[in-house]
Amino acid sequence: MKDFFKSIRFRIILGLLAFLVGVMLFAVLEGGYAISGKSLINTLTYPFRSFSNSVSVRVENYLDKLSNATEYYNENQRLRDEIGLLRKQMSDYEQIKSELAEMKEFVGIKEKNPDYEYTEPAKITGYIANDPFKSFTIGIGSNNGVQPYCPVVTSQGLIGITVDVSADSSTVRTLLSPDLSVAIVCPESLNSAIMEGYINSDGNAETHLIHLPRNTKFMVGDKLVTKGTGGLFPSGYPVGTITELIPSDNSLSYTALVEPSVDFDKLTSVVVIKDFSGKENQNEN
Amino acid sequence: MKIKASRERKTLIFKNTMRWFIYIVIILMGFTFMMSGRLLKPVVLIPVSICIAMNTKELQSAFTGTFCGFLIDIACGRIFGYNAVILTIICTLVSLLYTNYLRKKFINFFAIAFVSSFISGMLDYVFYYNIWDYENVKSVLDTITMPVFAYTVISALPVYLLFMLVNKFLMPERHLTIAEAIKINREDNSQ
Repeated sequence: MKDFFKSIRFRIILGLLAFLVGVMLFAVLEGGYAISGKSLINTLTYPFRSFSNSVSVRVENYLDKLSNATEYYNENQRLRDEIGLLRKQMSDYEQIKSELAEMKEFVGIKEKNPDYEYTEPAKITGYIANDPFKSFTIGIGSNNGVQPYCPVVTSQGLIGITVDVSADSSTVRTLLSPDLSVAIVCPESLNSAIMEGYINSDGNAETHLIHLPRNTKFMVGDKLVTKGTGGLFPSGYPVGTITELIPSDNSLSYTALVEPSVDFDKLTSVVVIKDFSGKENQNEN
Repeated sequence: MKIKASRERKTLIFKNTMRWFIYIVIILMGFTFMMSGRLLKPVVLIPVSICIAMNTKELQSAFTGTFCGFLIDIACGRIFGYNAVILTIICTLVSLLYTNYLRKKFINFFAIAFVSSFISGMLDYVFYYNIWDYENVKSVLDTITMPVFAYTVISALPVYLLFMLVNKFLMPERHLTIAEAIKINREDNSQ
């Protein structure tokens, strides 16, 4: 053992460790772009990840149906036999139909906001392993014009931002992350606040409005959209609905729980907004 | 120690090449598994890299740890190089331990996989959640870190069996060439 610490092998391993620390620091300083080694691995493994992910999602959906079988049974007892066969036949058709509807809505969004520059709809290629904030990767990157900190949306509303962009893939940080704050406004009452993700006591990630004054005008059921003042998100994108107002321990302020307008577990494809009026280039800051 | 003809060197090279090819396939399969689906998953590349380090020298183990660590960084969305540093150190230590002190028994492997997974999980929890003082951050420990640690330890068993199978067929035995055997024999006789 002592010989090892005096050997060239040990010095090579120390050199390797120093190199890795350098890589790590370089990755931190890259400002949201993935370093080339990571891009290469991402590109090489893309088809495998894409395939295995589609298989896994199908298996997981199947397992989910199994685990909630009793609940589904009670709910659908009368109708299940009747529609079971039809559902099987219709599943493929429904999938295509929903994708088409999604595409149509994307086109609608594009027509509504002609100054916005969108990417093509991007498929979700994988999920960040064991991440409570449901971050995921998409199959488009800097080759498609995506930059770090671009807003990611669906027809239902805002999802998050791109954070780790490589040539052909990007990681999306969702609204559930505490690292992402969004300025929101209620279009009816014009009240505004900051929305952030947080982890509840059950360990699930949710979103809430923070630091609401005691006399807040927000009410349960209020629909919220992005305010667009920070330069990170365009204005007017739906983000969610207030479900509960909770007074703080000292009763001086309120926190409002928000149900996001997008179900992060059922995403299939998303669109990245490459440019919009009022965008502030985050990389320059 | 068996005495074999030097032509078996070709078999040795073939077996080693095949063994490393299968190791890399297993590593990539583990990576693909980690990148798939939305459920909590074991960090299978930890037991995989330990299994490889058990049977290889320090340098090879260190590079295997680096490679597996990079893949874990991508799969788990961590800073590129973070897990690579941790696994490089772990794999080098594992290789040293097996070379000098430990026998290749399941209990030893299991203990090392247990400790390594725990260290990796706790470092991840500290640096990516606890240090930022998120609200209810301890629930991440209960609902993410500890289950993932448990799954990783459980996954060590099939990983060990898989590598045992691969090594059974492809781990080359230590053979001597005739020239080496004669030389050793002469040295023994002279003593």
